[in-house]
Amino acid sequence: MKGIVGLFLILAVMVIVPAVEYAFAAGDEPGEYLDRRVIIWNLFFRMMTIAFVVGAVVSGTMIWQVWRFRESHPKAKPTPYEGTDW
Amino acid sequence: MGGHSNWPEWIYVGAVVAIMCWVGAEAWEAERLVEHVPEGAEIIKVTGQQWFWTFEHEDGTKEIGELHVEKGKAYKFEIHSTDVNHSFNIHDYVVLMDAIPGRVNTVWFAPDAVGEHDIQCREYCGLIHYNMRGTLIVEEPHS
Amino acid sequence: MVLELQKPRPIWQIMFSTHHTDVGLLYLIMSLGFLFLGGALALAIRAELFLPGAQIIGDAMTFNRIFTVHGTTLIFLFIIPFASAVGNYFVPIMVRYKDMAYPKLNAIAFWMIPPAGALIWLGFADFTWYATPPYSIISAPGPAADMWIFGLKILGVSSVLGAINFVVTILKCKHPDMSIGQVPLLAWSFLSSSLIILVAIPTFAAALLMLLTDRLGVTGFFNPAMGGDPIAYAHLFWFTFHPEVYVLVIPAIGMMYEIIPRFSRKPIYSFNSGIFAFVLLSIVGFSSWAHHMYATGMSFTEKTVFMVGTLAAVPASAMHVYNFIATMWNGRIKFSTPMMWAVGGIALFFSAGAGGVANAAMPLDFTTHDTYWVVGHFHLFVMGTIAFGSIGFLYYMYPYVTGRMYNEAMGKIHFILSFIGTILVFFTQHVLGLYGMPRRIFDYPPIPEWIAMNQIASVGAMVIGVSMVIFLVNMIHSAGKGEPANPEDPFGVGGKYYYPFEAKNPSH
Repeated sequence: MKGIVGLFLILAVMVIVPAVEYAFAAGDEPGEYLDRRVIIWNLFFRMMTIAFVVGAVVSGTMIWQVWRFRESHPKAKPTPYEGTDW
Repeated sequence: MGGHSNWPEWIYVGAVVAIMCWVGAEAWEAERLVEHVPEGAEIIKVTGQQWFWTFEHEDGTKEIGELHVEKGKAYKFEIHSTDVNHSFNIHDYVVLMDAIPGRVNTVWFAPDAVGEHDIQCREYCGLIHYNMRGTLIVEEPHS
Repeated sequence: MVLELQKPRPIWQIMFSTHHTDVGLLYLIMSLGFLFLGGALALAIRAELFLPGAQIIGDAMTFNRIFTVHGTTLIFLFIIPFASAVGNYFVPIMVRYKDMAYPKLNAIAFWMIPPAGALIWLGFADFTWYATPPYSIISAPGPAADMWIFGLKILGVSSVLGAINFVVTILKCKHPDMSIGQVPLLAWSFLSSSLIILVAIPTFAAALLMLLTDRLGVTGFFNPAMGGDPIAYAHLFWFTFHPEVYVLVIPAIGMMYEIIPRFSRKPIYSFNSGIFAFVLLSIVGFSSWAHHMYATGMSFTEKTVFMVGTLAAVPASAMHVYNFIATMWNGRIKFSTPMMWAVGGIALFFSAGAGGVANAAMPLDFTTHDTYWVVGHFHLFVMGTIAFGSIGFLYYMYPYVTGRMYNEAMGKIHFILSFIGTILVFFTQHVLGLYGMPRRIFDYPPIPEWIAMNQIASVGAMVIGVSMVIFLVNMIHSAGKGEPANPEDPFGVGGKYYYPFEAKNPSH
């Protein structure tokens, strides 16, 4: 288990460090005015891309299991707990 | 309960944490860029009142309900209110900041095209909140 | 025995009873009454917004009063009392105690709610459920506003009393053979939410008093004209009411924890992860309140802190979703009405949570703050998750309360219509918010996109309205004429239920 935690720590660091570095490297440059619409809406659409992908996975899983594990499914079999006082 | 492996749940929680880290980092970076006010931005004083907006330019000209700005210039709004909370909003330019009595809040933007856009109040402020609207008019630079 | 309607009693015997099932029944009936009242106001709002211009509701003031009372009613007079109803029925049985720890206090906590509800409804205040100063101090017409303040004050005391009762019942009155780790998850959800109430509510109680004295003109805590700061109120309010969101949602999740294993014919996948997520959520819930206030002129650092605090609550919520999915996995699921509501609720819980993550990202606040996006977002929680879990649980406990089965077909139609309606209304409102329509507006300019989406949302609201009429007919008709339920196993799924009918009511 410790191995997995460590693995995720490393993965998380690998995601965060470049983002933070990029952020600091950007500096407070003058010159061209930033277009706040572009920055904000880009962020929004990137997040929606992730949200809809995750949403598709989660709701896809739920729809599939609702279809597969319903009691009227041809392959439905009693769970090991049925008939006991669980 | 018991007898099952916790592996998948740990991986799942790790994935959720990783996504949250990504969201946080991206949002932090975007906010940092958006909040950086460019030097030389012209100051416009915005006053919210039940139920209209007043604008005062740097040269002292005042406008009510309409705001004339020039294309290609940066503007910094200094927003306050004289009675209750309002929220100054130009949705087309993603400009939003609360107007709160006793405080001055700032937000900046740089219009990049000639046109007309709606100004509205987004914080509930009473009877005619729904119609506390104005117009932003972006013009060609004068000089 | 709690088969209330099979052995009719004079109504005063229920009203003056302190037995937990009787108090639970009172909570149940009152909260459902307010559900229909608050829902009727929602339909009025949606009908008015169907087209730009004034149609149904004559003027802006009436409209403002309606959405204020709509929100106050459904949060404080439906969701919270409904959870108390479920807790009253089930918590003493789950910890194997004869009653709540303090039965008289329990009855008092209930009887404080009707006068509070009367104050709110007779006053009909107009300053939104957030009662933000300085508007609520210098502009909101009295006595409606003062009645609202007193109503909320009483409701706050009532929930603190209820919370103390739940905490003591669970921690001190559980059966000696039972360790705290064996207390079922539904009871754990009441323990967590009650502890949140005890920590969070006093802040708002103080803020309400300050608001009242400000209105009377003797103090100026939140009145800038007297040197006060309206933002202080926002902090006090949200310090209570962001954790309050978890007070609302945690019992609903607990109800799903009861329904989903039952109808999957499997025990819960991970009991411990459920407890862990409840406790984590009730702690982390306190670290995110100011994400409601990004636009009030907070500094970059403050915003960052509260964004991180908000994102930190996500893994705990995600653990619940995982637990539900893993429980259903390899089960043999019977889709009776309660199970349909619970599964629908989980699906919408995910959507609401994803929207919440987007809200937490600070720059997106410029696009979504105080627009219909926010309305859609939190309604997905309160309607899509909390009301779905609650209504599912109502169907689940119906045979125990009345001794009869509800009409299964009508229950399923109710679910399907409500699910479609919820998606139509609240997903559309997200998009409407992205087009920039502000919240709490009586009228809007005739922008074609706004009109189209308002109309979709209004149609969805009417679909929910129709489904709720079916629900009402089903509940009333089946209580008298439904098939007698098999009290051992009304849903035919086996296993050991927590039956309220194990409770020995002295009146029976």
